[in-house]
Amino acid sequence: MSEAGGVAEGLRGNPLRDVRDRRLPRVPDPCALVVFGVTGDLACKKLIPAVYDLGNRGLLPPGFALLGFARRDWGRGEFEALARKAAEKGSRTGFREDVWRRIADSIKFVPGSFDDDAAFDRLHDTLIELEQTHGIQGNAAFYLSIPPSMFPVVLKQMQRTGMADNDARGGWRRVVVEKPFGHDLPSSRELNDLVDDVFTAEDVFRIDHYLGKETVQNLLALRFANTLFEPVWNGNFVDSVQITMAEDVGIGGRAAFYDNAGAARDVLQNHVLQLVALTAMEEPVSFDAEAIRTEKTKVLGAISLPKDMEHYAVRGQYDQGWLGGERVPSYLDEKDVPAGSLTETYAAVRLGVETRRWAGVPFYLRTGKRLPRRVTEIAVVFKRAPHLPFAMTDTEELGHNQLVVRVQPDEGITLRFGSKVPGSSMEVRDVSMDFLYGESFTESSPEAYERLLLDVLIGDATLFPRNEEVEHSWRVIDPLEEFWAGRKPHLYRAGEWGPSAADEMLALDGRVWRRP
Amino acid sequence: MTTTLWDTNGNEIVQTLSHERRAAGAIASGLALTLVVVVDEKHVAEAQSAATTAAAAHPCRLLIVVRRRMDTDDRLDAEVQVGGHLGANECVVMRMYGRLTLHAESVVLPLLASDAPVVTWWYGPAPERLAYDALGVQASRRITDCAAAEDPLAELKRRAKDYAPGDTDLAWTRTTPWRSLLASAFDDSSARPTSAQVEAEAGNPSAPLIAGWLTARLAVRSKVVESKGPGITSVEVRFEDKGHVRIDRPDGHTATLSRTARPDRPLPLKRRDLGDLIAEELRRLDADQPYAEALQAATKTKDLNDRPAKRTHVWKDPEPGAKKTAPKAPTAKSAATKKKEKTATRKTAARKKTKASR
Repeated sequence: MSEAGGVAEGLRGNPLRDVRDRRLPRVPDPCALVVFGVTGDLACKKLIPAVYDLGNRGLLPPGFALLGFARRDWGRGEFEALARKAAEKGSRTGFREDVWRRIADSIKFVPGSFDDDAAFDRLHDTLIELEQTHGIQGNAAFYLSIPPSMFPVVLKQMQRTGMADNDARGGWRRVVVEKPFGHDLPSSRELNDLVDDVFTAEDVFRIDHYLGKETVQNLLALRFANTLFEPVWNGNFVDSVQITMAEDVGIGGRAAFYDNAGAARDVLQNHVLQLVALTAMEEPVSFDAEAIRTEKTKVLGAISLPKDMEHYAVRGQYDQGWLGGERVPSYLDEKDVPAGSLTETYAAVRLGVETRRWAGVPFYLRTGKRLPRRVTEIAVVFKRAPHLPFAMTDTEELGHNQLVVRVQPDEGITLRFGSKVPGSSMEVRDVSMDFLYGESFTESSPEAYERLLLDVLIGDATLFPRNEEVEHSWRVIDPLEEFWAGRKPHLYRAGEWGPSAADEMLALDGRVWRRP
Repeated sequence: MTTTLWDTNGNEIVQTLSHERRAAGAIASGLALTLVVVVDEKHVAEAQSAATTAAAAHPCRLLIVVRRRMDTDDRLDAEVQVGGHLGANECVVMRMYGRLTLHAESVVLPLLASDAPVVTWWYGPAPERLAYDALGVQASRRITDCAAAEDPLAELKRRAKDYAPGDTDLAWTRTTPWRSLLASAFDDSSARPTSAQVEAEAGNPSAPLIAGWLTARLAVRSKVVESKGPGITSVEVRFEDKGHVRIDRPDGHTATLSRTARPDRPLPLKRRDLGDLIAEELRRLDADQPYAEALQAATKTKDLNDRPAKRTHVWKDPEPGAKKTAPKAPTAKSAATKKKEKTATRKTAARKKTKASR
């Protein structure tokens, strides 16, 4: 697209789209969004509000339809009422009647169970009908908001009816899958083969909602748009990296799922390893989806596990305790958790990244439930200055310089460095400089799902991990799980920062966990 | 917290602002830009509330300049506000009297946030040439509003004549939802357009801009037809194959998109309030070439994008009779005498300083 001549070519061959005209938002092609399991929790809490917010911001194309599929004996009216309630409750941008009327106009519901051939035929016919009535032009994104055990049935049905076929109706067909992407390497491969059988690889969008967060995307801007940080972003200057993802809540009502998964599979495998990839990746040659995903894949493939797992792979389970002024039960006392369960609710591990940039720099990762507060952050801890010209006593309170990316809450960046304490003596102490993301740009940032859903409809895969990334992640997690199998997790009191074994792990290396 | 300064000077405002910022705990600054608003007394509250809405997306230092009577003694009053209902923002309202109104930049210059972009927005009618106002010369982006002028269409021509990259107009901002809708309607059509027509209330300056934009992008003839309003009521593009795309908005609220051989679609297309318009303007601070091209086509002018972006202040005295006391560049003598007089009055005048918290 040449700007030199003053006439920029249209995007997508549309003469009204101009790269220089940045007031016009990115709007998807006419399309339908088909949600399986539309009456579920995720759909009501996140998806429908996200669709509404997109509509309110004018980001839905004129030809758009939301097609719900679920096992309910419902007509369109009942579904619309449910969707309306969900949008009213969950929308970020405020509920407006005229916006809703336009969305309600494009809502359809197809009742049926997943093994019912007739229901899927009806769904197929409805999609074709929508081309006429709503002008969706054969474009459809399928959102599988269903448990993974149902995937085979639904995918087979889509294959049978030819719904997933790109060419059949002359448009694009995409599928969106939620985590968990399997529970180990073989199962994730199996799942992937299944999806790949029906859809082509580039049409599969795996949602990791963490990547939809503004701060995570800002990490790329911080690293690759500035000259200040990249020169020290390597093993010559960095002492270690600590990535923490803590939750104060327990497992809630998810015992059935959680007890089979545990913290490592539930969080470490996807969110935390994705954060590692973004922190450690090399500069992508361009900012397009393939270039970024290639660099991420390289880093994930270069992750090494500790040889001494006994000390450097710690898992824990919360005991009863006090958290935020309330008494909370132990994991084993949570509803529906089997007696004597060995599932971990906390995992900490030291990983290495075997590249020239990171050789010798330990990456300490930890995640857990019932920790003192909900916080996710990436702390890059720098080496101490090789020589301090001050007297020993002057710098006693000087620690390591740190750059902390706060992913949530209080999105922003903290820089910790030494500063002179005012007074007549030379005394150096650590101070923090804070950049609050919400202060320089307070416009409430879009919900992760809103952003990701828009990306799916536009077809931008930058923020979606590709299959190789998932497989590499399992290659990291599987040996850990194997080592932990049958061992009793360390107990920690609810409301503590994890078991003492995790503190000992860092003490062995002469380091301590940062208190987030 | 609001601090009011009566009969003050620029230095005192700078000190009060920095004191207020410390008191509010805003030591590390997250300011992204300075927004200078030129407004008359009647509309201060309106402009401030719009700027505050916009500032929610772009934290800024808000400098509101109210030029009051010129036929009186030189005087400057100011209100300094930090935080509170302004969120992360800070605001200084300056009321200027006498000849000071012609030298507002002398107060504003030291108040600009360091090294952050400056945007100047004329709430009401803008000067005939933006270079007449030194406040516009300092800014990297200048926002005018043709719709605020007595004759909006003539004003549009004046803006084109005076255009420099970095200028923008709210009449153009108001077209964004229309243009966005038109662009998505074009996403899936390959037919060659042959003509375009925009219907709008008489004197609506946004209509010729949409028509100009269509002409610039589609290389077709486009015309503006009068309708009853409100605002723009419809846009239609016709194609070679006898098809058409048409957006109707009879009520200023909901639009209908109709295309040949496609079902009609109702779509919300609301007229936006001032705060949203300013927020959109602050999102990008570089020159807006598509605007220049639309304006060029709408007013049949040429080479708008090739003009130099920088303006030089042009002195223009609104009271030619008073020329003697304030020539183009004040001579050393008159400036010196003036200063002396000023300091004399300052010393004798009892300066009042009141504090009120909100």
